[in-house]
Amino acid sequence: MIDGTNGASIAIDSLVARAGRTVLTRVSLSWGSGTHAILGAREDGGPLLMATLAGRVVPRSGAVRVLGEAARSPGARRQVAHIPIEASLPDALRVDEVLALATTLRGEPTQDHAARLAMLGLEALVDRPVRSLLPGEVRAVALAEALTSARVRVVLLEEPFVTMDARAIGRLPQLLRDRAEQGAVVIVATASVGDASDLAQDHVLLRRGTLVRRGGAQDLLAGFWQDGNNARLRVVLRDEDDGRALAAALARQPAVVAIERLAGALCARGRDAEALARAAGHAAVEAGVDVAELRFDPPSLDEARARTPLLQTETRPS
Amino acid sequence: MTAALARLPFARLTRGVAAWVTTGAWTMLAFAVAIIARARGAVHGADLVLVGTVGALVLPLLAYGLVGAAIGGRSLSTSGASLVAFGAAPASAAAVTIAIAAVGCAAAGAFVAAGVALVAHGLADPAPAGDALASAYVGALGGGAYACWFSLGATFGRRGGGRALFLVADWVLGTTAGAILTPRAHLLTLLGGPSATHLSGRSSSVALVFLAGACALMAAKRCRT
Repeated sequence: MIDGTNGASIAIDSLVARAGRTVLTRVSLSWGSGTHAILGAREDGGPLLMATLAGRVVPRSGAVRVLGEAARSPGARRQVAHIPIEASLPDALRVDEVLALATTLRGEPTQDHAARLAMLGLEALVDRPVRSLLPGEVRAVALAEALTSARVRVVLLEEPFVTMDARAIGRLPQLLRDRAEQGAVVIVATASVGDASDLAQDHVLLRRGTLVRRGGAQDLLAGFWQDGNNARLRVVLRDEDDGRALAAALARQPAVVAIERLAGALCARGRDAEALARAAGHAAVEAGVDVAELRFDPPSLDEARARTPLLQTETRPS
Repeated sequence: MTAALARLPFARLTRGVAAWVTTGAWTMLAFAVAIIARARGAVHGADLVLVGTVGALVLPLLAYGLVGAAIGGRSLSTSGASLVAFGAAPASAAAVTIAIAAVGCAAAGAFVAAGVALVAHGLADPAPAGDALASAYVGALGGGAYACWFSLGATFGRRGGGRALFLVADWVLGTTAGAILTPRAHLLTLLGGPSATHLSGRSSSVALVFLAGACALMAAKRCRT
């Protein structure tokens, strides 16, 4: 059993579950309040694990306890918000009616519906029929309900930035952190190493349904950054026309081994992340261009797996 | 809690196009046949249309469509998934959906049967008011029973495709030795048609109630997980 918390709010013991071709094999772990990430592709079992925690999938064997109760118990269900990629809301109702219904079913005090949605910048959707919403809007409304509910203590969010309303994306990371600081268990399942390290304090890595490793973001990525020319710095320009001049200046920097032109940005690759950032600064000054943003691009899950020994190691639970 | 769970199936029935189109289309067919029967001066016009059109065709298909609308064209268990996500018990969500569908089908069945009894009334039919009342009762009972029957069907298949199988089974079994297990035979008996079950009207009423209850219980039980 891999246990990173004391007084866990979620405890999973030797869980075996299956949905379609995806399986979970003897997964044991626990989570307390805070932000946590399940890192892996969909077929690795993250969404299945979330569905099991939400009581939507019956385990073949093993125990899943959420907030001290069986995951499928009504008491646990009322305190869990599960937002999968294909989230659904009661289809024939308006958004304000959905929030009123959720309030009744969760057994919590009534709140102003527009104010709840405003947390994610969605107040304009308050009187829209659910049938008229885009999939990203549906997910964002479901997330707003979860984050503003007085009853919800476990938030299960699959791929936070995929199929998510643009208005909600910018506010999402801070709101998840705030919710966790209030004592909630916030779990995101993602295939993006970058999203996992941005959003969560710790990570569990699933591979083909088996729990591989648990650790912090830096633990998972340390090997990747130390191995070869893996540092990738995205330089976003204020003026797209400055791209050619900056590329020429970057090419003269020894720390830069490759440059890629992107829409409105350049991507510089090098061995050392710090040297790369310094080189970008020097190049911007030398070329006389305005830089809007410097951002290190995280590796994809496949890249990370291929180059990081830690991610290739499978430690099956005994 | 029950009122909250009823909001979704009720909204599907009252706000969705499918429910209105289904009700409108089958009601119009029933009334069109009733008008034709009256125009031809059929002496048992009401009996003829109630047995041959309403009981045999309109009521099953009306209930089939309304149940489909109440569950949003999915399986019964997935139709309540969005309520379960807010903490509702799956069996409760299913039971309330079945109840709303049954009430809707009973109301529609009563309206169609009573209306047809009045419109197609022939010289040899019983007094119009009494006949309409009796027909409304049978229509309501049949509509409710069919709603529960198709709700059980909707628990089979990923998208509730079992509902169509139950429609076929009702047609096929309704005239054979297995008729006692289907709403069709009992409904036709109550409407005055040929009895495949050889049961009295009272027994057929009890059988319909029992069948509806059994189907509803089994459907809700199948949605527990």
